Amino acid sequence: MGKKLLALTLALVVVLAGCVKTKTDVSKEAETDSKGNGPSEKVQIELLGTSSGEEDMNIVRDQLIKNGFDVKLNIQPDYGSFKAQREAGNFDIALSSWTTVTGNPDYAVRSLFKSDGDNSNIQDEEVDKLIEKASTETPDEYKKTYKELEQRIVGEKAYIAPLYISYKAQGINKDVLNPDTVRLAKSRAIAWETIDFNDAAKRTTDPLVTQQAIGSLTSLDPIKGNDGSINTLNTNIYVRLVNLTDDDQVVSDGSLSYNYAIADGNSEYYFLLRDDIHFAKVEDGKAVDTGERVGAEDALFSLNRAKDKDSVPDHRTYSLHESMEKVEIVNDLSALDNAKQSGGEGSIREALEQGLETKIEELVEDKTKADNSSGKYQVIKVTTKEPFPQVLNYLAHQSAGIVSKKQVESINTYDVASFNPDKDIAYGDQRTVTEGTTYNNHLYASGPYILVTKNDYQAEFVKNPAYHAGSEFEPKIEQVTVRFIEDPDSALSALRNGEIHLFNGIPETKYDLVENDDKLVLQKNDSNAVAYLLFNNNSDRAVAKSENLRKAVLYSINQEEFLNFYQGNKKKAYSTVSPLVDTGNELTADAAKVKEFLTNYQAE
Amino acid sequence: MKEKRINRQLLTMSKEYPQANFTWILTLLISLVFLLNSFSFRAGEIKPYVLALFGAYFITALLQLFIAWRIKRDILLYGDIQRGTRRLGYIQLFSLVTGNVFTAAFSLHLINERKTPEYTFAVYMALTQLFVIAISAFNVFKPYVTDSFPMAMLVLLLVLVFQVAVLIIVATTMREGQLPKWLGLIAIFTALTALTGNLFALLLGISLWMKVRSTESSRIAKWDATWGKITRNTMAVFGMFFIILMLAISVVSRYTFDYDLAVENDYANILQAPSLVYPFGTDNFGRDVFSRIIFGARISLLVGFASTVIPAVIGGCLGGIAGYYSNRTDNWIMRLLDVLYAIPGILLAIAIIAAFGANTVNLIIALSLGSIPTYARTMRANVLMVSNYDFVDSARALGASDFSIIFKQIIPNSLAPMIVKATLTIGGAVIATSSLSYLGLGVEPHIPEWGNILRVGSTYLESNSYLAIFPGLAIILLVLSFNFLGDGLRDALDPRLD
Repeated sequence: MGKKLLALTLALVVVLAGCVKTKTDVSKEAETDSKGNGPSEKVQIELLGTSSGEEDMNIVRDQLIKNGFDVKLNIQPDYGSFKAQREAGNFDIALSSWTTVTGNPDYAVRSLFKSDGDNSNIQDEEVDKLIEKASTETPDEYKKTYKELEQRIVGEKAYIAPLYISYKAQGINKDVLNPDTVRLAKSRAIAWETIDFNDAAKRTTDPLVTQQAIGSLTSLDPIKGNDGSINTLNTNIYVRLVNLTDDDQVVSDGSLSYNYAIADGNSEYYFLLRDDIHFAKVEDGKAVDTGERVGAEDALFSLNRAKDKDSVPDHRTYSLHESMEKVEIVNDLSALDNAKQSGGEGSIREALEQGLETKIEELVEDKTKADNSSGKYQVIKVTTKEPFPQVLNYLAHQSAGIVSKKQVESINTYDVASFNPDKDIAYGDQRTVTEGTTYNNHLYASGPYILVTKNDYQAEFVKNPAYHAGSEFEPKIEQVTVRFIEDPDSALSALRNGEIHLFNGIPETKYDLVENDDKLVLQKNDSNAVAYLLFNNNSDRAVAKSENLRKAVLYSINQEEFLNFYQGNKKKAYSTVSPLVDTGNELTADAAKVKEFLTNYQAE
Repeated sequence: MKEKRINRQLLTMSKEYPQANFTWILTLLISLVFLLNSFSFRAGEIKPYVLALFGAYFITALLQLFIAWRIKRDILLYGDIQRGTRRLGYIQLFSLVTGNVFTAAFSLHLINERKTPEYTFAVYMALTQLFVIAISAFNVFKPYVTDSFPMAMLVLLLVLVFQVAVLIIVATTMREGQLPKWLGLIAIFTALTALTGNLFALLLGISLWMKVRSTESSRIAKWDATWGKITRNTMAVFGMFFIILMLAISVVSRYTFDYDLAVENDYANILQAPSLVYPFGTDNFGRDVFSRIIFGARISLLVGFASTVIPAVIGGCLGGIAGYYSNRTDNWIMRLLDVLYAIPGILLAIAIIAAFGANTVNLIIALSLGSIPTYARTMRANVLMVSNYDFVDSARALGASDFSIIFKQIIPNSLAPMIVKATLTIGGAVIATSSLSYLGLGVEPHIPEWGNILRVGSTYLESNSYLAIFPGLAIILLVLSFNFLGDGLRDALDPRLD
């Protein structure tokens, strides 16, 4: 009995072991020598991110663990607490993202990597030099410089580890909106004035309902904010000297200027201003024409305060405009005749007069005296410190929006040095437009729409009645409602059930839902949004001190896996410049390099 | 005429007849679910495997209906179930192949005429073991199995063989009045097999040991009466079966399942539909949902038990002291607990997690704190009642210390309602754990936990609904099981229902 049982047992083991492969069999076959001779003690890496970036964090965690790291996750529920953790330095690597909304490469590196950049934690003279060098170069020249810069930042020093470039995708309810009128630009925020309903009769009766994630607005003063909470809103509230097309060309269409011109030497820029835009203000919940023209004085005032660090407390965008040396109103017509165009024939005046019905007869300094139909124009001239053609991209950014000199000066009467946010009300403070006791809308809008009121759930905008009235740029739809829906999946549901008409930011894994929905269309375009891992370069941590450790993390990152996870709806990146300049650099995951760098690190 | 009336009464009192009805209805319902799923409306084609399952369940249901009819006829005609009808149980036992635990359990009960709690324990012990093996066996379809898999499966199979032998021994020997002494040895071995997490084995072992060794007939009678009541409650036993199955799977999965399949991303197999390799499909990172749910049971059970036991012990002690001592102590303790009671439990948990970070220990603490007051209230009420009984007075007269009176006399006699309450709230704790994970406040997102799995599934409800259905079902079944068991325990332990 005992022998039989033993024989049976043995037979069972043989059968069981024969028909299945165990894990060690498989790993032996795969011939991975990762076990045994790897680093003995695991290096712990603390990964910081927000819960909306949970999926990216999981991929990074998985890749690091497979390369022999130990990963501690620090997941913060929202961007505010994430930023607090990042500022406190509680991380080794932080999941970060950057969108170059101006569409020029200088912006993609200046504030992030320059030693004095407002978002930088890197101190590297070599990097500073390269950034400055590239900024003065033409697109053909700077390709090489940016390639060098990328190699310095990523390959040599591993200050960041790039993950991917995102696409921009928006869903449109085509039963309500005419999809051809909705723009999807690579860099700039969406322009509402072109959007139209299928049924033109609805323009005055129904609002356009759109969405954005963040409901707490940083500031409606364009220079005091540069984030997702206000970029789209301020873009539509204020007009600028120039605009970006959908593929990032600088144009005058839909801006305050008829034409612009670059003078020989690439450091003087001229803008010929229109006279058909007035400021609008809110009275009893309606937008009214103030009768005050948006003119050269306002542009001068706006650009001067944009480049002056001390013009307002919490100035968030001066580094974008630092390149401007001087802004002035031109009143001498002969100056336009004498200045030559950059790289071309003819005078500045010829360039500015292109396509005008009435040629320039006279330049006026006072905006009230301007009258284009009788040839009285205003011209603004911007001079940069160095030859810097990319300044035009910055002038197309929402932070260069034109505000009313009179109105802003009458509101901002506080002393900048002793500003107290609890007591003093600055121009554009969101409390003044929030429903309730603090409501006191003092906005003067130079753009197509003006914000009337907001609460925690939505913001209401109405059309500026004196914006390009009668021209093709006149806003089509009278009212715009922006719903604040934080979760992209909820926003997608809102789009699908018709609650919103337009949703910019469809999650990559949900494109097919939109494509399969009969009443929706999906628009897709390239974007300048890059996701990357930022090392804690400025701290006492091991990642700050050891280049080897940073490189070990860098070569653990496998961008192919990100592309797989996002079903091919992402592109490979090498740095924040990648979407703008094709440098040819590529990051390839390499387990052998990881091991080498880790061993070097442990020998340090 | 009179006989017929008696038989009619016998029919309503019969244990088998309502069970038989319950079983065929349930089997029919399950078969209908399979029928609905056997046709893919989008693709317009029939799934042969699901249709086969429907056929098997439908035939089982018909057979069960026939058995139910035979039982009714037998009782009405003869007053008891005839041998031929009981033999049908052997045929119905084959339904075990389709994984139908309801008909299997029923037929095992039908076969044996004299039902002792031991027989029920033995039946469910063997069934649990069989299901654990069957679930683990799904791993052979995977590209590879974990290293300890062949050995673990062999041990499990041997244990199953032993347990089936015990089942036969129990079925045959329990009829005799005096049990042979060697049964004591078997009892010890049976109890040892509970190391696989199969608590039915432990219960059977204790029960057998008591009957072989103990001479206190009153204790045995009480044990038999309590378990008799619980085992008569079909739903309570099925609840207990599912809980113990989950427990056993959690223990055994350590050796039969590969944890890497549940946590490591596999980008080549993202969002696969259910198949033999991935019985519940794969999620958006290519992780096997089946393995994730199996490993998730561990956390759900651990947090569920711990966050019930901790407040039960703390609240029980506080409530005991408050109930036994004077007004002032009572007031101090209860008013402080009232303050705690005034804070909503889930909000308190969220606040604690937000302040101290998300991990399993903090989760247990967060969920425990909020439910201390309710346990204290239950205990206090019992203690107030029990401390007026004569045996407490006599203990006091004999000079026993307060401490020994509370912990030796009062608390053991007030435990029953606490046990019932704990079982009923454990389901709530499981849900709370999953809710917190669902909100992103529980354990880290890659760790397999039912709430986490459900959260991923919730964003794929339309395109890959199985991602949400399976973890959802797991949560529902576990919570239902605890509730059914709690109900059964209340019926069995509540003296007022005697």
